[in-house]
Amino acid sequence: MAKTTVSIIEISLIVLVAAALGVFWNRTLLADAWHGAPTRQAAPAQAGEQLPMPVGLAQVKEMLDAGQAVVVDARSAASFREEHIAGALPLPLEEVKKRSGKSPLLEKVSKDSVVIAYCNGFSCHDSMELAKLLIGSGFGSVYVFEGGLPEWRDAGYPVAKGER
Amino acid sequence: MSAVKRYLPVAVRIALGGIFIYAALPKIADPATFAGSVANYRILPYFWSYFTAAVLPFLELICGVLLVTGYRVRACALIVAALNVVFMAALASLIVRGLDIDCGCFGGGKTSPWLALSRDAVFLAMAGAVLWFEEKRTSPPVVRS
Repeated sequence: MAKTTVSIIEISLIVLVAAALGVFWNRTLLADAWHGAPTRQAAPAQAGEQLPMPVGLAQVKEMLDAGQAVVVDARSAASFREEHIAGALPLPLEEVKKRSGKSPLLEKVSKDSVVIAYCNGFSCHDSMELAKLLIGSGFGSVYVFEGGLPEWRDAGYPVAKGER
Repeated sequence: MSAVKRYLPVAVRIALGGIFIYAALPKIADPATFAGSVANYRILPYFWSYFTAAVLPFLELICGVLLVTGYRVRACALIVAALNVVFMAALASLIVRGLDIDCGCFGGGKTSPWLALSRDAVFLAMAGAVLWFEEKRTSPPVVRS
């Protein structure tokens, strides 16, 4: 058999084995991603600490459209200007940390309203941290949209640029 | 045959394999973070970022191990070369689009696209060298009359 043919067969085999191993090893993660609900294992809750609840793409869209929730962007102001979920409010985690949970923007939002925090999805923990701070400062129902901007954008939902 | 001529091919092959194993392990350990890195490139749609993050590290690992052990070297060097071409294209697209993100090459840490690009060029050259050495090793010796 020609050398090239042997190489092609070997390459295909190696790629197939890698794909099979990878899919099998990450089957839970992939299944979650397929259903559009990336779930990271939450850090074990400390006693008495209230953790924000995760919320999926479809629910975020529904609540935002119906005006039932305030969507806040935990990323930096610069990232917000570049691109954000249309209708979201900028609430950079860094800023909230500096003011220990207070922000002029938040004073307009009632503590009874539903707040959904997001950031860059996947590996980004800022939305979770922001949500915890919000709970700490008295907000009753705080959710985290873990898919964040990437999932929103890929779903073809409206994004916006610039200040707000 | 001088020592360099004798051991250089082996050294390059094992180094390249080692680098790929080293790159694969943190990604296998934390696929969700790597999926985030892939998504940051804004090239693949949502699910396929996860799929790439699931499969790519295993491809790197298998090729790394095979290169180190010296089994099926030609096929692996070709895969590694192809992977590096894809990585370089992705990194170049970052530079063109002005995206400032971590390359996600070796798991965490922040590496500029330019540094990652030049690093991948070195890996590509190494893969080329491995192929070349392998070609020389396996081709029939010239018969002298």
